[in-house]
Formats: sequence, C-alpha cells, structure tokens
Amino acid sequence: MFIYTREAHPGENVGHHDSFERKLACAKLLAGEAGIGRDILVDDLDGAMHRAYGLMPNMTWVISRGGRVAYKANWTSAANVEAFLGRFLAGRAGHSPGTMPVMYETQQAEFRYTDRKRFMQHLARNGPRAVAEFEKAQQLWAERAAT
Amino acid sequence: MGEADRRSIAAYNYPRFDEYVAAGGDTADEDAFRASPWAGQRAPDFTLPRLGDGAQVSLSGLWQSRPLVMEFGSFT
Repeated sequence: MFIYTREAHPGENVGHHDSFERKLACAKLLAGEAGIGRDILVDDLDGAMHRAYGLMPNMTWVISRGGRVAYKANWTSAANVEAFLGRFLAGRAGHSPGTMPVMYETQQAEFRYTDRKRFMQHLARNGPRAVAEFEKAQQLWAERAAT
Repeated sequence: MGEADRRSIAAYNYPRFDEYVAAGGDTADEDAFRASPWAGQRAPDFTLPRLGDGAQVSLSGLWQSRPLVMEFGSFT
C-alpha cells in the first residue's frame, strides 16, 4: 500500500497542494510516471494520516494482523522491510514444542543507500525551484551541523 | 472550513522547502515521528480514497486478516 502525502519538494511542475483536487491530480501523475503497481491511498489535504504516523516524507510502517505496530522506519529501505517481514512472519509461525512466541520490541539504527543522481532527477522533475531550494536547505543543514 | 483549518492546511502543504527547513519544519517532523505510536501499540485507523476507483478503504479492514505494509511518499 502506498500513501500519497504532501509534496516534499514542491516546484514549478509539481507544486504544493492547495486543494484536494490538485492533490488527486498529482497522485495520478505520480502513479503513471513512477509505475507504482500497489494500491495508492490519498491522504486528506491536511495530512491527517501523515501527521498521525509521524510526518517524515518516505516512511514505511508494517501493521500486524489485528492492528498493532510491528515495524516503523523513518526512511524506506525495501530490503530492510522485506527482511523484517520474513523474520516477523517466520518468528510468529515457527517455534519448537513446549515454547510459544512472545512479541518484544527493538529499536535499531541501520543504513540505507541513497541514489543521489536519481533523487536530483526527481527534484528536477518537480521543477528548477525544487532543486534550488534543496541546495539552500543543504547550506542550512551544514550551518546547523557547524554550530 | 474555518480560518484555523486553512492555516493548518497551508502550513502542512508548504510551498517552499528551504523556508520550511529554515523555520525548523524538518526537525519538527523528526520529533513527530519519534512521538508516533511505537512497536506494539495500536496503529491509528483511517479511511482514505483509493486512487483509480475512489473506493473508501479503511486500514483496519486491511490489517484485519493479514499484515499491512504502508509506504508514505510523493514525487521526491
């Protein structure tokens, strides 16, 4: 399932959403260009679901059967999600006689690998302003890191 | 829609990323993620329209019978 949120880097070609109709149109454009095969749900204009799950631009969450959070990641790594799902489903199903599965919680930091060239192409798709504003944001992040 | 709703919608759908970062929006988002439900807690339920056919889909209907994987995103 893919949840379409606000545009993280609005530009001249794909701008910020000022109506739900515009948000729907952007979601349709994205589905076509990115070839997203999964179902896409479109959040409301105020981002009610996005807010409830934490506002990061490219999170992945896994909700277990019954509705409890099984996995949350502030950035998406498909390989990590796949590995987690394999462990989680196998862990629930597989246990030796005389034992029973008991859920516990973990918190881990992991690495993901960003494709800088591809990301910049996506920014450019949104428009030159999206590229320029990201470059300005990078300067701001560098200033923050220096203080 | 009231003025407060309009302000909330405008703040969420910021038009300029650099200004959003300069105002601390990105760090506030990181804080929001850390404050969101943790593993083992009940996930917030929403009903949203599905792109294509417009059907109203409830998350709880999906996770009732099997785990649900949800990726959030936009063009970038």
